[in-house]
Amino acid sequence: MAEKPVRILVTGAAGQIGYAIVPMIAKGIMLGPDQPVILHLLDIEPAAESLNGVKMELIDAAFPLLKGVVATTDVVEACEDVNIAVMIGGFPRKEGMERKDVMSKNVSIYKAQASALEEHAAAGCKVLVVANPANTNALILKEFAPSIPEKNITCLTRLDHNRALGQISERLNAHVSNVKNVIIWGNHSSTQYPDINHATVTTSSGEKPVRELVSDDHWLNTEFITTVQQRGAAIIRARKLSSALSAASAACDHIRDWVLGTPKGTWVSMGVYSDGSYGIQPGLFYSFPVRCEKGQWSIVQGLKIDEFSRAKMDATAKELIEEKSLAYSCLN
Amino acid sequence: MAKEPVRVLVTGAAGQIGYSLVPMIARGVMLGTDQPVILHLLDIPPAAEALNGVKMELVDAAFPLLKGVVATTDAVEACTGVNIAIMVGGFPRKEGMERKDVMSKNVSIYKSQASALEKHAAANCKVLVVANPANTNALILKEFAPSIPEKNITCLTRLDHNRALGQISERLSVQVCDVKNVIIWGNHSSTQYPDVSHATVKTLSGEKPVCELVADDAWLKGEFITTVQQRGAAIIKARKLSSALSAASSACDHIRDWVLGTPEGTWVSMGVYSDGSYNVPAGLIYSFPVTCCNGEWTIVKGLSIDEYSRKKLDVTAEELTEEKALAYSCLS
Repeated sequence: MAEKPVRILVTGAAGQIGYAIVPMIAKGIMLGPDQPVILHLLDIEPAAESLNGVKMELIDAAFPLLKGVVATTDVVEACEDVNIAVMIGGFPRKEGMERKDVMSKNVSIYKAQASALEEHAAAGCKVLVVANPANTNALILKEFAPSIPEKNITCLTRLDHNRALGQISERLNAHVSNVKNVIIWGNHSSTQYPDINHATVTTSSGEKPVRELVSDDHWLNTEFITTVQQRGAAIIRARKLSSALSAASAACDHIRDWVLGTPKGTWVSMGVYSDGSYGIQPGLFYSFPVRCEKGQWSIVQGLKIDEFSRAKMDATAKELIEEKSLAYSCLN
Repeated sequence: MAKEPVRVLVTGAAGQIGYSLVPMIARGVMLGTDQPVILHLLDIPPAAEALNGVKMELVDAAFPLLKGVVATTDAVEACTGVNIAIMVGGFPRKEGMERKDVMSKNVSIYKSQASALEKHAAANCKVLVVANPANTNALILKEFAPSIPEKNITCLTRLDHNRALGQISERLSVQVCDVKNVIIWGNHSSTQYPDVSHATVKTLSGEKPVCELVADDAWLKGEFITTVQQRGAAIIKARKLSSALSAASSACDHIRDWVLGTPEGTWVSMGVYSDGSYNVPAGLIYSFPVTCCNGEWTIVKGLSIDEYSRKKLDVTAEELTEEKALAYSCLS
């Protein structure tokens, strides 16, 4: 076991994704089986009793790696000295709510949390925003935490990335661990672009392009894309609840690969602060293909972008620009 | 990843414990990170859509160790070829139900699941019964699956065991991984006896008895015991839902230690078929201290039992004997 515990903050910890993610973190799935952790769990006052129930269960599970639990409704206490922050808490869209209302509520939340993190988190804190609208919440957080390096703020599109791997594996009857290098471009919303143009499958005769093996461009350009884009809704229809299990697992994958590095020859998708790569407007949180090494991500450069992909990438960028405007209008 | 996949059945898989448990299994928490698994998920027809939602999420999580998912409402399909069976499904107690009614429903369920397992599971399948009344459900299962060796049928008291470790660690402000060898005797119910007479804590000056370090017999014989016995109710009070996270984690611990062995010098608690050890009536499923090696559990013998403990051991045995009689009366 490593010496020093890593402090991990989970906001919205009394909710469903929180309940799924905290045992994963406590079992070493996020940072490895030798890395002790201290969990900081934050939620709002109405959820305080429930949050305490989660803390009680974490004690009851006698996790060897879990060296402490701070369960609180106080954002300062929650953010104190944290090395990793997984922001699940946010205002969910309710029936009858306008997009602007949801945006407005979340902009306030992420503005306040930005301050607390900036003032109290440990230096080098890595932030993952999960709560929707994830990309724009991450942007607000960045704007109001200027001393947190922009490269340390990300949003989750690993769930979409994993969903895309899953769909290809099902289509090809291949094992999912043999499929790699799909890309999720853009917004974690229905305009995301799941792109398989550079994806491959490990077969007994080496790595083959997905497009070649699937051999059905029509499916790849239509149903595959819409299935991945709308998978969240499909899960809700089946379970009557949203995809906590797979979201929590994807969040662990996102952090693990960021901290411990991506495997050789493999990239993953992360929502990161755009630097203008691939003609995407700088200053948005946009999902790109990235490699990770020594705790840093870097955008995979030089991938060919065909016309079909270009249009999709631009459409999702456009949506993010509109969301950014909407968010800023809420701040006035 | 050269090992052959192990087939793990989870019944009641569309429920809350199932939802916490399946990602743990798929991540290698139960059998180790180099052991591929195939999940068999069973639930009743009203839960078929939700069950399919769980399967979809397992596909979406792109777990490298998960080599397949069979999600079904057909007990035969579910049981076919399984090496490990975790029986989470059962009839929950509802408001106004008499104990006899709950018992009667569960006796029917476990009688028919026993047949299916006996006929279709792999040879030497290991069974863990979680659904309450766990000990008696396990007994019924054993009675109606005579070709499953009795040593292969167990029930979960590891949750209570872990809760006891947690309470001692909190009381002494020590890390839970430094506390060991508590014992849960008897029934997974409010008559269970959490016994620390042989428990120790690793300190800088070696292993010390818990009784000595706590130095508060009144607490150890009073509040400590009732806290552990009633912890389930305390979790429900706080969360408004029962303890899925810690139950799932404990089920993984139970199977892992059974299959991979307990650490040197450490025992755990498991509900197992009594052979008359410690003057507990034979022919009950009763929780004992056990060590595990080469895939088999063995009751720890020769522990001294004081007068106080003797009474507690007997009370919980008495309750199990009554439950057995009640269960048999439901069969007539």
